[in-house]
Amino acid sequence: MAEVAARELPESIKPPDLIQGGEDFTSITNTVARVAEYKPPKGWYIAFGIAVSVLGVLLAMLGYLFWKGVGIWGNNQPVAWGWPIVNFVFWVGIGHAGTLISAVLFLFRQQWRTSINRFAEAMTIFAVMCAGLFPAIHVGRPWLAYWLFPIPNQMRMWPNFRSPLLWDVFAVSTYATVSLLFWYMGMVPDLATLRDRATKKLPRLLYGVFALGWTGSNRAWHRFERAYLLLAALATPLVLSVHSVVSFDFAVAQLPGWHTTIFPPYFVAGAIFSGFAMVITLMVPARQFFGLKNLVTMRHLENMCKVIMATGMMVGYAYGVEFFIAWYSGNKYEGFVFINRALGNYAWAYWTMVTCNVLLPQVFWFRKMRRNLVVMFVIAAFVNVGMWFERFVITVTSTSRDFLPSSWHYFTPTLFDAVILLGSFGLFFTFFLLFCRFLPTVAMAEVKTVLPEAHPGHHHQPAEVER
Amino acid sequence: MSLAATLLSGDKLQDVELTRRSSRVALLVGGLALAAAVLLGLNEGDHLRRFFHAYLVGYVFVLSIALGGLFFVIVQHLTNAHWSVTLRRLAEFTAISLPWVGALGLPLLYPLFTHHGVEEHGGLLWPWIHPHGEHAELIAGKRPWLNPTFFALRMLGYYAVWAALGIAFVRCSFQQDRTDDPAPTVRAKRWSAVGIIVFAITTTLAAFDLLMSLDPAWFSTIFGVYFFAGSVVAIFAWLILTALFMQRTGRMQRAVTVEHYHDLGKFLFAFVFFWGYIAFSQYMLMWYGDIPEETVWFAQRQTAAWMPVSWLLVAGHFVIPFAGLLSRHVKRRLTVLGFWAAWMLIMHWVDLYWLVVPGLDSEHLTFGLIEILTSAGLVGLFVAGLARIAGGRPLVPLNDPLLPECLEFQNI
Amino acid sequence: MSAEPRLYGVLAEFEDVDSLVAAARKVREAGYTRFDAHTPFPVHGLDDAMGVQPTILPWIVLLCGLIGLGGGFLLQWWTNAVDYPFVISGKPLFGLPGAVPVAYELTILLASFGAFFGMLALNGLPKWYHPLFRVARFSRATSDRFYLVIQGSDPFFSPATPEWLASLGASAVETVPEPDEPDTPPRWFKGLTWIVTSLALLPPAMIAKARFSEMQHPRVHLVKNMDFQKKFKAQQASPLFADGRAMRPDPAGTVARGDLDPTSTLATGRNPDGSYATAYPLAVDQALIERGRERFAIYCATCHGLDGRGDSMVARRALLRQGQQGTNWVPPADLTGEAVAAQPPGRIFETISRGRNTMPGYSQQIRPRDRWAIALYLEALRQAQAGLDAPGDKDNQEEAGR
Repeated sequence: MAEVAARELPESIKPPDLIQGGEDFTSITNTVARVAEYKPPKGWYIAFGIAVSVLGVLLAMLGYLFWKGVGIWGNNQPVAWGWPIVNFVFWVGIGHAGTLISAVLFLFRQQWRTSINRFAEAMTIFAVMCAGLFPAIHVGRPWLAYWLFPIPNQMRMWPNFRSPLLWDVFAVSTYATVSLLFWYMGMVPDLATLRDRATKKLPRLLYGVFALGWTGSNRAWHRFERAYLLLAALATPLVLSVHSVVSFDFAVAQLPGWHTTIFPPYFVAGAIFSGFAMVITLMVPARQFFGLKNLVTMRHLENMCKVIMATGMMVGYAYGVEFFIAWYSGNKYEGFVFINRALGNYAWAYWTMVTCNVLLPQVFWFRKMRRNLVVMFVIAAFVNVGMWFERFVITVTSTSRDFLPSSWHYFTPTLFDAVILLGSFGLFFTFFLLFCRFLPTVAMAEVKTVLPEAHPGHHHQPAEVER
Repeated sequence: MSLAATLLSGDKLQDVELTRRSSRVALLVGGLALAAAVLLGLNEGDHLRRFFHAYLVGYVFVLSIALGGLFFVIVQHLTNAHWSVTLRRLAEFTAISLPWVGALGLPLLYPLFTHHGVEEHGGLLWPWIHPHGEHAELIAGKRPWLNPTFFALRMLGYYAVWAALGIAFVRCSFQQDRTDDPAPTVRAKRWSAVGIIVFAITTTLAAFDLLMSLDPAWFSTIFGVYFFAGSVVAIFAWLILTALFMQRTGRMQRAVTVEHYHDLGKFLFAFVFFWGYIAFSQYMLMWYGDIPEETVWFAQRQTAAWMPVSWLLVAGHFVIPFAGLLSRHVKRRLTVLGFWAAWMLIMHWVDLYWLVVPGLDSEHLTFGLIEILTSAGLVGLFVAGLARIAGGRPLVPLNDPLLPECLEFQNI
Repeated sequence: MSAEPRLYGVLAEFEDVDSLVAAARKVREAGYTRFDAHTPFPVHGLDDAMGVQPTILPWIVLLCGLIGLGGGFLLQWWTNAVDYPFVISGKPLFGLPGAVPVAYELTILLASFGAFFGMLALNGLPKWYHPLFRVARFSRATSDRFYLVIQGSDPFFSPATPEWLASLGASAVETVPEPDEPDTPPRWFKGLTWIVTSLALLPPAMIAKARFSEMQHPRVHLVKNMDFQKKFKAQQASPLFADGRAMRPDPAGTVARGDLDPTSTLATGRNPDGSYATAYPLAVDQALIERGRERFAIYCATCHGLDGRGDSMVARRALLRQGQQGTNWVPPADLTGEAVAAQPPGRIFETISRGRNTMPGYSQQIRPRDRWAIALYLEALRQAQAGLDAPGDKDNQEEAGR
């Protein structure tokens, strides 16, 4: 056995340890809990101030929207789904990385997820909040948005379950609920840690309430682990279904460019793509600010870059197949839509999309680029832009020029469209910064299990010796 | 001394005799079955039209297993997986059999270039060779893509790519058997990303060409993914069955443990679900859109004769195995897992049968000895090729750097 | 072991997982049942050492999932196909493919509830208080130390237990008293919880009240430009129309939905006993004949010809091309001939409505009143032609010679 253990392997086969800097159980607790226990750096206050101001702008805009009605947007026939739906799909997509990292990578035993899953799950929750906002305000009379749910009413009417828009209501609300449960459940042991470390009364009480009286009992851990596994197994098909249902909103219609069978997997790949890009966009600065460099290492970031490249390829594959079939189908409307996307009046949007989503991520073929913080931050930001444009291209180009040339119309957004999109970032970042400030940003209990000393008898096993 | 010799001392990992014998038996059985099928086909008096439909079913069945193996190999390198190391060689055998599978496809040149059956049906097998009927103009518009010469050239191209990929990756693995230096494995990992891209493009186009163009007026953008999903189901079922076969006949006793079966079972379950997801997406969107140019394809499969097969697919390829494979106990009980693997292979065949044969006659269920014998023959020839390739070679990668991890992991 | 102070149990602290797992195994082998380990993260191998039985949680999740699946289908079927059926975009009231997504989401939602709440319930959480929370060192159980607790109520528990436990490699051993009075939340916190809960119940209570009571006042108009739009509503006056009413009367002859009797002679051409109507079921006058001529020229003359003899341009051209490309032309009937003349008006009406031979039915294009008008016009046409059919009429002789 000895010579087996002594083999030196290149990094591409046996990557460096997940947790760097000689961290142990105690130091992991200290590193993570410190973020929540001490005053944050000045940068946090500045960022939070900006985020709250932007959120204020959003609330003011929403007030104005409710007062004046949806006519303040650029939406009009034939483009009845303008920016609000583009923004909705954009935010839902971003929300997919969290559950993917928590659930899918968990099932695949990808242990590198433990350092980033809490962060990504939080991002998911807040992104889904932003996403839910847009269909709600898009219904015209948002105070009646509860009509979407099958609640018995005095008119004895029920919602139309044959409409994909109603499927969306169920998919997105289920997704929000399950993501919240998953996030919260994973956080309970960590909240107990914060509770047990709290020195002041109020934090101790509040963390105590949300820790639900967790004692770390092994009998409880047994059920907790099983529940976590089950939730992961449930969340994985849920991730697939949510963006698939969002894609059904488009694909069940007979509109060229919308009605195509590859939409469900294509949307899911795109969602993961944009979600991972957003995780990088947030993670790169956050690990710097909060001193998490030993927990969120270059290996984590590099893996995420690889996922971005892989999902970017899948999206590129879908673009290609759509184009090929548009020609192959022999359907002239289908053909026109794609020619129009590439060469028509929205060509600028289409090529922005292709550049940001397919061309730029190719940079990640180079290991040096995958390990360069500036490069990955910039590329991730471009991917976010590109994925917003993807939804814009799908939503707007198909409706703006459909079967009847007499009703063609060039969609132009108004200032309100832009400000509300901007404002949704305020909503997102306000919650996100609060999360960073008050809650355990890294899943301490899970990260500890990645350390070799978390496994009984670890020093007897050959594979572990060389660490 | 290789890693495997250290870690798996005493395990039988190589066997010349049995593989030679099984190669001969499979060749004989396969050859006879195929010959009988040809005779029966000639007896039909339809210029072998039915025979060639049956041949395509069996052929794509075999091809999908081989392609699934290629995908498995590439993706294990891509993800740097350690759980699968001892199973990878079994998949590598199917991947490297791709040139042989390509040779099995040569008879399909006949329906591509023959003049028989062209007038009545537009082509003996693929009806776009001589466009006729109400969609003649539409199909004629696809001539730049759908013409026999370009089709044959494309097939040649796909096989060149697949064979190159298969040989490249498997050769790295064979080289690794002979050396301690991990360089061959590193090389395989480096090329895996490019490999998977090329694989995705060629497999998609091959699915469009071989299967989707059987109804040249019909199209579905998800079709490549649908074929891929079925292939992956097939390879996991195949790996479970071959691993069981090896172990039941006294090989690889220590190399494959119940943890490996558990993981294979999980992936089989996952891809049963994935197939269901893709199949549902394709069906539901066409059902909802309700455009005749799309629904006609499903309408052919929902006639009185074919509806039972469609339901069989829904139940047998998704609902029943989904319920059957849900529990972890099933995945760890090898006889039960083996049953489900065999079940899924049969259902994968039904899936391909359901894709191809309704084009022959949507009013009648064409099923009989010809279909069974043709597929049995092709599987026999495929197995004969596999056995010949496997003969004398190690059944696990002897020196894979991740071998220790592979033998160590446990499912939660 | 008497009650001064009551004993909760004994707590042993361990530095690493190995000694914890080894100790846990020994505790179980010694026969203890009421003991537990407390760790900052799940330690693999500990379940086995402690002899923890697999949880029933998966079955709870499966059950909840099945309820979600069945309930999802039932909800969609009952609301859309039974309680409030309406056809929309030609879809069936309940179609399986379209019902899958919602049932699927509900399956996952309920199964997830089962996993989360089931886990909490099985673990007896949430819990405000635990005797171990009073042990100062126990606060490291959620950070970096491992603990083993044997409860005083265990039948194997003896005064020697703490010492024995210390010998298993524990770095510290401590007895934990059962406090006389468990910790309770602060009063202000309890009060706050009550207030928040009551406030949360207020909106649903108000909605419920509104549902079951009558309003005497008009509702509050939050957004005026949606409730008061510049448009005419029913029962309002309008300067636009001569009669000063915003509502327009129905066009003459409008029949309310469901009021048209599809079995009447007017609609079928047959008498109640099934025989063909021999008289017209509506007033016959010059206007009706004129209407019939106009409709005839639009719908019938293309084939039957303006003179009704089946000799239109269409028919002539079809005869010329007879036999080409597999056509088999059935010439249109001569409407002025004996055969048609012998038919009662009801039969003519039926032929127009349903078609005959290769002639398609025209009930979709021509309204019943107009079909009667055409039948009447045919009669007039025949009579007029009987007057024209005199010997020496050149046009007619040519036609007769064909």
